[in-house]
Amino acid sequence: MKPQVFAYHDPSSVEEALELLARHGPGAKVLAGGQSLLPLLNLRLARPEVLVDINRIDSLDYLAEESGWLRVGARVRQRWVERDPAVRRAVPLLAEAVRYVGHVQIRNRGTVCGSLAHADPAAELPAVAVAVGARMVARSRAGAREIPAEEFFTGPLSTALSPDELLVEARFPCSPPGWGWAFVEVSNRHGDYALCAVAAGVCVADGRVRDARLAYAGAGPVPVRLPQAETALREGWPLEDALRAACSEARRLLEPEADIHASADFRRHLAGVLTERVVRLAYRRAVDGAGGARA
Amino acid sequence: MATRWLGSPIKRNEDPRLLVGQGLFVDDVQLPGMVHAAVLRSPHAHARILRIDARRASQHPEVLLVLTHADLPPALKEPLPKLIPHPDLKHHKTQYALAPDKVRHVGEPVAFVVATSRAAAEDALELIEVDYDPLPAVVDLEEAAAGRPALVHEDIGTNVAAHSVQRVGDYEAARARAHLVLARRFVVDRGCASPIETRGVVAQWDPKARQLTVWDSTQAPIPIRNGLAALFGLAQKDVRVVAPDVGGGFGPKIMMFYPEEVLVPLAAMRLGRPVKWIEDRREHFLATNHERTQIHDAEIALDQDGRILGVRTVFLHDAGAYIPYGLIVPIVAECTLPGPYRVPNYHAEFRAVFTNKTIVSPYRGAGRPHGVFVMERLLDLAARQLGMDRAEIRRRNFIQPHEFPYDVGLIYQDNAPLIYDSGNYPAALERALEAVEYDRWPEQKARYRAEGRRVGLGFACYVEGSGIGPYEGCRVTVEPSGKVFVATGVGTQGQGHFTSFAQVVADALGVDVQDVHVVTGDTAAFGWGTGTFASRAAVVAGSAVHLAAKAVQQKALQVAATLLEASPEDLELADGYVRVRGAPSRSVSLGEVARAANPLRGVIPAEWEGPGLEATRYFAPPRGTFSHGVHAALVEVDPETATLRFLRYVVVHDCGVVLNPLILDGQIHGGVAQGIGGAFFERLVYDGSGQLLSGSFMDFHIPTAVEIPEIEVHHQETPSPLNPLGAKGAGEGGVIPVPALLAQAIEDALDDLDLEITQMPLHPDALFHLIQAARRRQP
Amino acid sequence: MRIEGNETLHAPRDRVWALLDDPQALAGCTPGLEELRPVGPDEFEAVLSIGIAAVRGTYKGKLRITERTPPLRYGVQVEGSSAAGFVRATGVLELEDQGVQTGVRWSGDVQVGGALTLGSRMIPGIARMLASQFFQCLDRKLQEGAA
Repeated sequence: MKPQVFAYHDPSSVEEALELLARHGPGAKVLAGGQSLLPLLNLRLARPEVLVDINRIDSLDYLAEESGWLRVGARVRQRWVERDPAVRRAVPLLAEAVRYVGHVQIRNRGTVCGSLAHADPAAELPAVAVAVGARMVARSRAGAREIPAEEFFTGPLSTALSPDELLVEARFPCSPPGWGWAFVEVSNRHGDYALCAVAAGVCVADGRVRDARLAYAGAGPVPVRLPQAETALREGWPLEDALRAACSEARRLLEPEADIHASADFRRHLAGVLTERVVRLAYRRAVDGAGGARA
Repeated sequence: MATRWLGSPIKRNEDPRLLVGQGLFVDDVQLPGMVHAAVLRSPHAHARILRIDARRASQHPEVLLVLTHADLPPALKEPLPKLIPHPDLKHHKTQYALAPDKVRHVGEPVAFVVATSRAAAEDALELIEVDYDPLPAVVDLEEAAAGRPALVHEDIGTNVAAHSVQRVGDYEAARARAHLVLARRFVVDRGCASPIETRGVVAQWDPKARQLTVWDSTQAPIPIRNGLAALFGLAQKDVRVVAPDVGGGFGPKIMMFYPEEVLVPLAAMRLGRPVKWIEDRREHFLATNHERTQIHDAEIALDQDGRILGVRTVFLHDAGAYIPYGLIVPIVAECTLPGPYRVPNYHAEFRAVFTNKTIVSPYRGAGRPHGVFVMERLLDLAARQLGMDRAEIRRRNFIQPHEFPYDVGLIYQDNAPLIYDSGNYPAALERALEAVEYDRWPEQKARYRAEGRRVGLGFACYVEGSGIGPYEGCRVTVEPSGKVFVATGVGTQGQGHFTSFAQVVADALGVDVQDVHVVTGDTAAFGWGTGTFASRAAVVAGSAVHLAAKAVQQKALQVAATLLEASPEDLELADGYVRVRGAPSRSVSLGEVARAANPLRGVIPAEWEGPGLEATRYFAPPRGTFSHGVHAALVEVDPETATLRFLRYVVVHDCGVVLNPLILDGQIHGGVAQGIGGAFFERLVYDGSGQLLSGSFMDFHIPTAVEIPEIEVHHQETPSPLNPLGAKGAGEGGVIPVPALLAQAIEDALDDLDLEITQMPLHPDALFHLIQAARRRQP
Repeated sequence: MRIEGNETLHAPRDRVWALLDDPQALAGCTPGLEELRPVGPDEFEAVLSIGIAAVRGTYKGKLRITERTPPLRYGVQVEGSSAAGFVRATGVLELEDQGVQTGVRWSGDVQVGGALTLGSRMIPGIARMLASQFFQCLDRKLQEGAA
């Protein structure tokens, strides 16, 4: 388990990194926390010619709340997001879900943007990004562009980034008042990829669901948002009926793949079960005015 | 004998060294000029090798040696040695150092490359061209037994390596008069040990001294030495095998030979340079032995009071591609099945079957979990049918404390009669039931149910064969410094021998346990022995240590008697001194005694049996000794997500006299964790073409501290009459009953569903489908 | 690993069949196909370069047309190997006449060996993504042809 020979660069500025990506195209890979890339390298499943290590780029190491958005730079470790009280307040769903990513040791190295760019369909953070409507800031030598999360994930391990682009920042909208958020997951062990996970937000006024967001991990080739289930929550009443309708939409519409850990019908079943659990939790938090903060 | 040390929960002598990273594992061996090996392994489960072209690899600038089967010396072209023959093992097919013309499992070695670095060696592997002609893979065990879809070894005309039957009494007659006969099929699937240290070998050949030194992460350094000497035509004294610190063995490292264990020494001798090979985790999943797959068609016959009249099990054992280790696992399975119960009529019959999968040899439990799963499940299901309490059916069938020695009527893995030496089975169950408040369980369960929680209580009983022969030995030496050195042939893979053996010696010689230095697993330090397996090291080697220490004690008294001008009977050993009882000022240190025992001039009395304060003794038990225990647990099941949480876990454990309760607790904790892993989390998943699809820690899920509950251990001590320590083995008891317990607990948690669990391991998807099927069956 | 799916191609069945029956047209739509050389009736040597994220590989192997029942069923078998392992796949397409358009029911069985087995969790999803790219490309070609 030794990687094939590759050239290694550790630029100290974004410009330098973009220059390297432009020069080497698809032969280059960006190394951030390395929690997915290094195993792939050692197994020789990934054989990039060039590794562009962004860990020396200090300008990518920021976590800031700014005009209604939480901006997460490409070098921000998951552990930072997990522990920062501002994140818990601004994007409680992110703070809750990040704890399901691997273990502390992994989150100490792994980055939020790295997890998003890796685009594992069973990973937690891509589902969060889709649920809250995050935006990905991609830069290349040609300039910068923002990609909505729902357009960013194009397939298993595949994103809208072109080979010369670097995901420099992920922007998560701060939770508006009246919303409650929750994340639930079933995995074999704590820290594994989800057999199924659901990220949810509901906006509650006068006890009724006014708006909802639902996104699923482990339930398709990309993190899947389910507008039909959201509509069912918005339009159904009483809550129990709305929940029943949303769960049945989830079971009807999701098309998960089978793998060695879970059959497609188990995943569909879980999607229904977890939809109910996650919405109840988010609803309670919205009503309590707790947002998504865990005790 | 004062027992200041034995029985005390003292901390381990070896831990400070290990915890600060000063252990010596095989990969820590660094030698000048050392080069590195990598193995080309078959990507196919079953294929003919049409052509191997290694020219491009040989031309790689950093490559020193490329070996294929054609390049091996005649002795290594043959299949590697047969380990444990058995009259019923008709086709004792063993693995090759490198595959000659056919590969029989994914991961089988095809070529071996040595280069200046491991990375270069791996680069060179990619330059070797092998043309394979894939053959249908033999994956399904029942199909394999029927010879479909292919033969793993064509020359024998069958996939069945062995057919074996053992009988006690007359099962058919018992069945004919039974009130209830209950038959089920039980399926146990593959598992593997996953030691934290994978295998590794370093070899160094000194052509002038004609001395071969091999560091090997093995459980059996002495047999490896003997085998290497035979294969390479060397004297045993010219081969030294060191199993230094070993990061977990659990059985698979008792195997001999893994191909790399002969290829690395061969390469070192050809190149005249030290060669290192360290197995990576991916290789480990494919190339280190597995265990566990068996399909049992089992039946129990009972009278109307729930007394067992007889049991029958007819089972298939998946041997994998070769069967070097013989029939140990299925024999242990059939011999463990009767457990703590009187089974007057028993029919056990198995076929060991070749498949195109990794080789099978014992892994912690080694057939015992299968036997216990079948027996405990039969009792649970029978109790349900009889409307009897599951504890009561066990109470009615236990062998009673006054019935020992109890002859089960079978022949065990050591070819000796299966005779339980001692035990107290009813007491262990009552203690476990008391710990989990079994008598109040119905109310407790109802309370959980009222909270909307599904919690089940499960328990399972087992008897663990351990401490088998043939023998182990030990040399105890007191040096003039007063320090005590102990050498034994067994290796240590984390069992704490550096401490428990030291405790035995410290008590005999009256020294501090930290002044006793134990060496294990180095053939240069002690050259006789068989290895650490079958929960035998503490029992067999521990007894040899005891005998040697007692001999040194006697000699110390004799020598000191001359020095102190006293009678040996008036002397005692304490605090590193031999002193006159009642007159402690008249004393001499052990170091002085050691010096006096090895004089430069003068006469050594004949009764000293030679010079030095030293003795070597061997212990050869007549047969194995039998530990036993009961596990009980509370398990919460989420029927909607098909996931589990252990709320409580209690172990009542009887391994005779406890040498060190702290080490013993560690053994049990680790075993339970490994048992839980093997029962619900870890799975070796093969596809229809014989590819392992879960061959990394991404998909093979070893439970972590999050999944493993606190484990309460209760020690019951029923000494063994078969050895001077009264000890019994403790290596496997943590693992053995977990599948049986988990099945019972899940059924109890979901008792409204009338679930029957007859397969292991489970995992969420399997449990989900069981629950769905049970729901569909409901009116 | 078995996967299956349904697609709709926006052309009548005869035209779809004609396209499927033309190896070169087929080659143009097979994701990552770099070379396709006929070596016998219905048998080709192929070089594919497939990359999903960092996992890229060049696979050399064979493509065989195993069934051709105009205009109903079409079967292919592909096998290729790279340094990371090998892939063997069989696929069957069934065409359903829907007037101006054609329904395609497809199913495939994918087997992998070597290090690729470590990605088994991803393989059905990736295979489906590649299949979907293939059908999108076919549909584009059909619509271009109609224009």
